[in-house]
Amino acid sequence: MSDREATATALKPTGSGDGGRPTIRVEGAVKSFDGRVVVDVDELTLGDHPIEGLIGPNGAGKTTLMRMIMHTVKLDRGTITFFPPRASADRGEILSSRPPHEIARLGVVKTNQVIQDFDELTISDSLLLSVAKAPDERLFRIFREDKLFEEYAEPIRWYLDGFGFKDPHGFAMSAGAKKLLDIIRCLLLRPKVLLLDEPAAGLPGEVRDRVIELVKEKASTENISVVIIEHDLNVIWDVCDYVHFMAEGRVILQGVPEWIREHETVVEKYLGSGHVGG
Amino acid sequence: MNLDWLSSFLIFGLFFVVMMIGLALLLHLQMGLAGIGNFGIVGFWGIGMYAFGVLWVRADWPFGEPWPFLISLAFGTVAAGLAGLLIGWLIADLDADGIVVGTLGFATVVLILATTEKSLTGGAYGMGGLDFPYDVGTIKGNEASWLAIVIVLVGALLFYVARVHRSPYGRLLISLGANAPLAGSLGKPTFGTKLWLFVVGSAGMGLLGAMYGVMVHFLSPLKIGIEITLAAIVGLVLGGRSRVWGAVVGVLLTVGLFDIVIQLYAPLPASLSAQALPVLREVLFGATLIVVLMFRPLGILGRMRRDKLMRRMHGE
Repeated sequence: MSDREATATALKPTGSGDGGRPTIRVEGAVKSFDGRVVVDVDELTLGDHPIEGLIGPNGAGKTTLMRMIMHTVKLDRGTITFFPPRASADRGEILSSRPPHEIARLGVVKTNQVIQDFDELTISDSLLLSVAKAPDERLFRIFREDKLFEEYAEPIRWYLDGFGFKDPHGFAMSAGAKKLLDIIRCLLLRPKVLLLDEPAAGLPGEVRDRVIELVKEKASTENISVVIIEHDLNVIWDVCDYVHFMAEGRVILQGVPEWIREHETVVEKYLGSGHVGG
Repeated sequence: MNLDWLSSFLIFGLFFVVMMIGLALLLHLQMGLAGIGNFGIVGFWGIGMYAFGVLWVRADWPFGEPWPFLISLAFGTVAAGLAGLLIGWLIADLDADGIVVGTLGFATVVLILATTEKSLTGGAYGMGGLDFPYDVGTIKGNEASWLAIVIVLVGALLFYVARVHRSPYGRLLISLGANAPLAGSLGKPTFGTKLWLFVVGSAGMGLLGAMYGVMVHFLSPLKIGIEITLAAIVGLVLGGRSRVWGAVVGVLLTVGLFDIVIQLYAPLPASLSAQALPVLREVLFGATLIVVLMFRPLGILGRMRRDKLMRRMHGE
């Protein structure tokens, strides 16, 4: 393990971006369930590149690490810090001591691997919920709806039209529609760091391509740092500027996609042959 | 105005029905929208009633009415709100079972306190001395005015609830009831929102309790039993827990039907003693709840239908 770590360290990017990217730094983060260590990440910075991939075999701890960042899973040890764009090194926000909703408000947002929805809310409800800010949602603000609707009608309409939602006041029925809605809700929050947990799973190919295109565009034009967990490695090789490879709770390889693919032997050991090509 | 048709019994029955609609509306916000199954309604209601009554009757007021009354009324409301803050803080993060047990336990604590704190509450014997804060000349006139006041209050509450359904706040509450962790991941303060809803709802229940205290003139632990909670829950669930009008329809069909129509107008057999009626009422309410949950779990008015509401508000 140690020589691999050494390789990984040596191949870290020398200049970490332009310093203007929003980043997340994970330091000494450990999580174990029932005595089994699931995540043990000594040091990891996410967001130095516009789009980064987080790959690894099942059970490598990718999703748990994301949940630790969102603080829906408590850390046993360690800290996770968010650095907003252009923040100096000492101006980070410690995420691992905040409740999940504050993390979302800081601009760190995650889509869900498993389908999540509000059963009683229509599609447009769900998107309006996402864009509404705390002052809109005070319990005495009972005449706020029209203003909110007016203010956000345009971006919501843009997403609804762009993804072909025929009936915005109806409910999301299919698994694909719910998954897509989950991603749109996150994008409407105008995140600074966007964590996508298996965005391609469950989406029809055409929709998946649109989502990926959109995410790429946002990453470059709006300075969003995107981190994608994905089992479909073709997506990773296509869109990611940098890849973190996790296994057994640790990050054991980091590098540009081409470099990771060159180290077939390591990756194949974990993912099995045939995954690297394509 | 000729009030001959309005018997004292009818005034009292109507007052009780309107007040129960108020409680059921507050429960609708908590349970129907935000998913907090508050089984301690009578606890907050009772705290409001007793805090108001004890302060008003027992304190040495240096100034005349209406100030002592208004201050006591505010005190009862705030006391119930503070109880809501404490209980809400303890239960807001619990699952549904924990909330039910926690709130039920709280209502029991209030009942025991009302019984044991004899120097303040008069214990099991109860305490009197409460009366209307005004005098229009006749007892019936006083009672009818008090009924009118509670109708205005509950009417305003109904308007508020209807507006909540059409506001971002209502959407937030529904999202908490449907999937609180997901709402949290979208930046919604789940704990804080539930807590404030609980505080304000409890304060409202306390205010209704204090107003009831004025109507009955006499407080006793017998009045703060589980029947109040049960009536609000049965009414709301029968009508439709997630619908604006669910509380109104349900309470009219349960409390309204039994306490007014049957007791006042139905030819009950003379052999049915006065003591048997309340017991029969509880049996009927319990049976109604079981039947509704078996055959129409979402109540008479059914599910929420946000799709219709959104179309009405924002067009096609």
